[in-house]
Amino acid sequence: MSAVAAHADVEAHVAEADYQERTRRNRLGLWLFFVSELFMFGGLLVARFYLWRENGEIVRPELDQNLGLIITSILLLSSYFMNRAEVAIAHNDRTNFLVSLLITAALGTVFLVGVVVFEWGAHLRPWDGVFGAVLFGMTGMHALHVLSGIILILNVWWLGTKGHFSAEEHWGVEACAIYWHYVDLIWIFFYPALYLIGRAVPA
Amino acid sequence: MRGHYRTGILVLIALAVLTGIEYVIAVSFPSTALLFLVAIMKAALVLYYFMHVTSLWSEEGGH
Amino acid sequence: MTLFSLGLVRGIIGQVIAFLAGMALVVVIRALMGLPAWAAEPAWVVGGLVSIVGFLVGVGALSDWLKWIRGEETPLRHGPPEGKPAWVRYFEVDYNHKVIGVQYTVWGLFLLMTGGFFALAFRTELVQAGIQFLGYDLFNSFIGLHGIVMIAAILLGVGGMANYLVPLMIGAEDMAFPRLNALGFWINVPGTLLILLSLVVGGWDAGWTGYPPLSARGPIGYQLFFLGVYAVGLSSIVGSINLIVTTLRMRSKGMSLFRMPIFVWAVFATSLIQLTATQLIGLSFLMVLVERVLGMGFFDPGVAGPGQQLMEGGGDPLLFQHLFWFYSHPAVYIFILPGLGIISELLPVFARKPLFGYKWIAMSSLAIALVGFLVWAHHMFVSGMNPDLRIPFMFSTLLVAVPTGVKFFSWVGTLWGGKLHFPTPMLFVLGAISVFLIGGLTGPMLATVTTDIPLHDTYFVVGHFHATMFGGFVFPFFAALYYWYPKVTGRMYNETLGKIHFWIMTPAFWVQTLGQMTTGMMGMRRRIADYDPTLGAGNIEAVHLVITLAGFAIALGVVLMVYNFIQSAEVGARAGVNPWRSRSPEWQIPSPVPEHSFPSPLRVVGEPYDYGRPGAYVALGAAGDD
Ligand code: HEM
Ligand SMILES: [Cu+2]
Repeated sequence: MSAVAAHADVEAHVAEADYQERTRRNRLGLWLFFVSELFMFGGLLVARFYLWRENGEIVRPELDQNLGLIITSILLLSSYFMNRAEVAIAHNDRTNFLVSLLITAALGTVFLVGVVVFEWGAHLRPWDGVFGAVLFGMTGMHALHVLSGIILILNVWWLGTKGHFSAEEHWGVEACAIYWHYVDLIWIFFYPALYLIGRAVPA
Repeated sequence: MRGHYRTGILVLIALAVLTGIEYVIAVSFPSTALLFLVAIMKAALVLYYFMHVTSLWSEEGGH
Repeated sequence: MTLFSLGLVRGIIGQVIAFLAGMALVVVIRALMGLPAWAAEPAWVVGGLVSIVGFLVGVGALSDWLKWIRGEETPLRHGPPEGKPAWVRYFEVDYNHKVIGVQYTVWGLFLLMTGGFFALAFRTELVQAGIQFLGYDLFNSFIGLHGIVMIAAILLGVGGMANYLVPLMIGAEDMAFPRLNALGFWINVPGTLLILLSLVVGGWDAGWTGYPPLSARGPIGYQLFFLGVYAVGLSSIVGSINLIVTTLRMRSKGMSLFRMPIFVWAVFATSLIQLTATQLIGLSFLMVLVERVLGMGFFDPGVAGPGQQLMEGGGDPLLFQHLFWFYSHPAVYIFILPGLGIISELLPVFARKPLFGYKWIAMSSLAIALVGFLVWAHHMFVSGMNPDLRIPFMFSTLLVAVPTGVKFFSWVGTLWGGKLHFPTPMLFVLGAISVFLIGGLTGPMLATVTTDIPLHDTYFVVGHFHATMFGGFVFPFFAALYYWYPKVTGRMYNETLGKIHFWIMTPAFWVQTLGQMTTGMMGMRRRIADYDPTLGAGNIEAVHLVITLAGFAIALGVVLMVYNFIQSAEVGARAGVNPWRSRSPEWQIPSPVPEHSFPSPLRVVGEPYDYGRPGAYVALGAAGDD
């Protein structure tokens, strides 16, 4: 056997034995990425509480409360279906896995439409003072993450239809899932910051 | 429905209830601290049940 | 082999094409929206953004991931590219951390010299009052470019040392995420190219800090500067993720946290800062970027839409300063912690004595990193922020002196009674300590509100941070280059030239930094092209001349070093495995380090710094290992 082939052999063996270890590394890496991004989103929150004030009192623009509640609920629901997809693959329930992924992506898209079409289409514009700036800054940055999450989910779904992932090895699904939950997590703080906290003033 | 989906549903219900509480707080007696508290509770649920934060340090769960 | 088969060249071509494509996209969208098709600012912004991706695609840094999307397996390729000369791998995407480390270092040195060129240009302008050959705008662009290019150079130098050394020092086969590692290096290249390109679209005149409102109004050069910094910042973030995971999960058998070489601790603390704080400079620059393109009034009290009442307060430029310094103060510890780690790493080797207070040094790195997050507003004492905040920030800043002092004590304790040797790396380590002392002692003067108020925005600050950065980064970095050069190339550098370099650069630097402080106390303000020649009883021009001459001397030293390295790579004597008699793992394997660094898994059997005592630190392979 040539040296190269022997080396490839060893590597294949190591790769299999190391799937667990590699997953641990990947997981830690992804979480570190979350920690990093948390500082960026935190910076946006700081901007929100720094800028949306009147005489020291926290204020907020008057936004469509129904819309806020609806898109928040939709994102929550999508998080549930994402979790369902992960649980399904862990129990080798492939149909449920694939269907749940599609539902998650669909709900994510509805959320995105809610923000981009309805919230952005309402009266405030990015150039409308600090109200517009912060609203579009926060929702825009979050929407970018939602969009990338949807693409990721569809990618995982597509690979799933091609037979990738198993109950034992599905780091790809887990990564996609915790990313999606992370996006939801950010919204858990953005929703009250944008819609609920402070005295509403006409924007 | 098989048992392993049940936790997810319970968490979903808890999150929904907390979101409702959030909304009620905001409408009836707005308090920044209280709203943040509820948000943190929601976040904890998501972190623990959906994101399995403990898998970071537990030695199981290498899949 | 043609030029086009070189990754770097393909990347640059990709960047140019993507730039044009991005601009075209903006033109088309605007035309479709019924707006005037050409608008310079959005076109340059979108073009610049897309161009970063274009470079990465061109160079091939994304290829494996694009295959993952299709579910393909991509085994790691080892060794130099097939059918091409071996040196080519340094201009290509390569996944070996040793190659990436060298790539970082060389690009860092290139930037160091580019930044130095800008400095020499405006230093020459400053020799006399009045304007001689640089206009006001170019002068201002040059000071900003000098600052940010040097910062990028430092980040790359740090990345180079960390990437090359950390896996070797902890006995890991490579970094945890080799592809991410390659991306982390390559994204710097389009980023720094964008920063340099900003010169052709008007430059930018606010200095490296880019404060609005000035930066929200100046030429388009600002936008390329922002985008470039964003790319370099992304490199910091992915690099730090990689280093943290590598350090936490890939140590060899027996390498407990408190048996790691001290440099690894320093890099770990640095990575924690890079991971988190970097997001804030990215965010603050991004906010100015969108403020300019879309009119989002984060920092401008005056921006109000049609029919929109100004909110009381409105946008606030101070918010920018808070966000910006929340990164940029911790960033200074990114610059110095690895360098201080190098000092602690080399001193025991050349004193043949254990490192004094290993655990304290390790913990002081973490402490500096943490306290570093609580001091940012010491840059804002005269900004008009709430004056009550000044006192807590003064105290938290002075607190940093404690862990820094721990390091100084340890260095003195290590030197005390040692059998000292003085080859070039040791000289640079001692030079670093002397220079960092100057910088460290001037810090508290600036941290004290009463003394900072007159000193702020003067050349005294410039003198302060040059001393900290040279003592904390440049000198230790050069020490590291000389020290590990034999390990990287397998050959010894020219000792005489190295010593000449040291003896030119160190006194020149003292003169430069003390001179800068002197002009500052004479009343010389920062970032101005022209000054009053009667300052300092008419002596200020003479001091400026001396500073400029010292600057040229430093540049000469750097050129000597580069010449030394290029020359010695061909004619230097063979270095052997361990010319410095170090205990560290990387010195127990051949020079240059083979492709798969360690022939068999490493085992830790002793303490890292027990110089002068029996027993080794690490053993290579042994029975019982699987
Ligand atoms: C003993 C520790 C230190 C203290 C107390 C300290 C304090 C200060 C203060 C108060 C300022 C603001 C001066 C002003 O603008 O009025 C300042 C500026 C600066 N310091 Fe330090 N410093 C320390 C160490 C360092 C280190 C280790 C570095 C970096 C390697 C550093 C880099 C800088 C830089 C780059 C600036 C100028 C930023 C700018 O305005 O462009 N400092 N320092
Ligand atoms: Cu500072």
